[in-house]
Amino acid sequence: MRSRAWLLTVVLLAASCGGDDSGGSAELDGLTVFAAASLTEVFEEIAPDATFNFAGSDELATQIREGAPVDVYAAASPRYPNELAAEGFLRQPQVFATNRLVVVVPPDNPAGIRTVDDLSRDGVRLVIGAEGVPVGDYTRSVLETMGAEDVLDNVVSNEQDVKGVLGKVVSGDADAGFVYVTDAKAAGDDVESIALPAQPPVEYPIGIVAETENLEAAEAFIELVLSEDGRQALEGAGFGVP
Amino acid sequence: MRRAFELGLAVATGLALAFLLLPMVALFLRISPAELADALTSEVALDALWVSLKTGLIAHFFVLLVGTPAAYFLATKRFRGRGTLVTLVELPLVLPPAVAGIALFALFGRLGLLGRTLDTFGIQIPLTQTAVVLAVIFVAAPFYIRQGIASFEAVDPLLTDASRTLGASPARTFRRIALPLASSGLGAGSALAWARGTGEFGATIMFAGSLQGVTQTMPLAIYAQLDLNRDIAVAIGALLVLVSLTVLLSVKLLPSWTRFTSPSFIRSAPSG
Repeated sequence: MRSRAWLLTVVLLAASCGGDDSGGSAELDGLTVFAAASLTEVFEEIAPDATFNFAGSDELATQIREGAPVDVYAAASPRYPNELAAEGFLRQPQVFATNRLVVVVPPDNPAGIRTVDDLSRDGVRLVIGAEGVPVGDYTRSVLETMGAEDVLDNVVSNEQDVKGVLGKVVSGDADAGFVYVTDAKAAGDDVESIALPAQPPVEYPIGIVAETENLEAAEAFIELVLSEDGRQALEGAGFGVP
Repeated sequence: MRRAFELGLAVATGLALAFLLLPMVALFLRISPAELADALTSEVALDALWVSLKTGLIAHFFVLLVGTPAAYFLATKRFRGRGTLVTLVELPLVLPPAVAGIALFALFGRLGLLGRTLDTFGIQIPLTQTAVVLAVIFVAAPFYIRQGIASFEAVDPLLTDASRTLGASPARTFRRIALPLASSGLGAGSALAWARGTGEFGATIMFAGSLQGVTQTMPLAIYAQLDLNRDIAVAIGALLVLVSLTVLLSVKLLPSWTRFTSPSFIRSAPSG
């Protein structure tokens, strides 16, 4: 009985490998990728076989410093990859995507937000990324550029990653939040977007973790992300590609 | 053979103690006393301490105010479904914190069961300090009520009956007889509830969010500072270890603590 179940597994595996596999993703088995939360949907699409840990880029950097067993790191800001590379934890990172910030509100827009100026009105409940989390730092820098720092007085929560911001807007418990265009797109009809007049340069570097034990798979994954298929998936999700 | 057995027991005990205590030792070794003092007087740490104290005290007030009579009721009344009720009160004890968080959202969220109505009156609970208080009450109250039930059950019914036959009203009997006799057990439950409330993390970060000086309690500040300023995270952690140790010691040192946790013993004990 047991050997039959085993045989069935082998057959199913073989069948799935022989299927419409878009080339080479089977070799990503056992690969662990730490990636910014905003990459959740697109990385799952590009490499469904890899194991992902999606979180705030800063939190992931801390985990890599503490010796997490991980092969590839993709962040929503050059800050942490550069730090890790300087400390010897990461091989030369390279930028593979860009993004833009956007304000999202729940579909029924309870606070009637139309422009960024509305965000500083009394009683607006705004959720943004925490300091040190890339989306939080980008948000603060955009508001500074626009001279609209008073908006920060309406922040009711600093979230540890961009999906935390998005979730509280989707549930309607926050009136507005600052997320990436790609998150707004992934949320579909659950949010409405309001474009921002100013934009910070949002760049996503990717690199191989120095202590990887899956070097070939790590290289294959980065190759896949930089490939034509990878670029199409990124553009489809709303990212820019360099 | 016997020596080997004894040795095995000792080794296992040593391993268990080392595993349980070394992380806390490491925490204190990671930071010098001077750095600790520095970090604890940082604005983030002081804000977190204040938020934790304030929300903790408010939550504890309601836990005692409502929990004490509820525990007395469940301990002294006999009715169908009582056992089920006691079990349901204890459910949050074993509930994963993330479930508590999402359940509180389901009730109080803007699109939630009650939240929808509250919203029409312009009242919003998620992501406010009230949300922190509610999360703390939700996770801490069962510790107190559970201990309260055991404490009231341990009060000799002969004493309360005597009080009633001597003409005291039920309320007076509760106040003058049951409450004083159960007080050390209630004190222990109160301390445990306080400790659980102070440590509350999962439900709070989901339901109340994290905003320095408003909803960022000490555990949330540890999480937020972990990637920003490790010293502050470690310092708050060390402080919480000391707080927890104090709570534990005060529970252990309450004299009748063990007596009141064991109703079967009380039943067979001589009264008086």
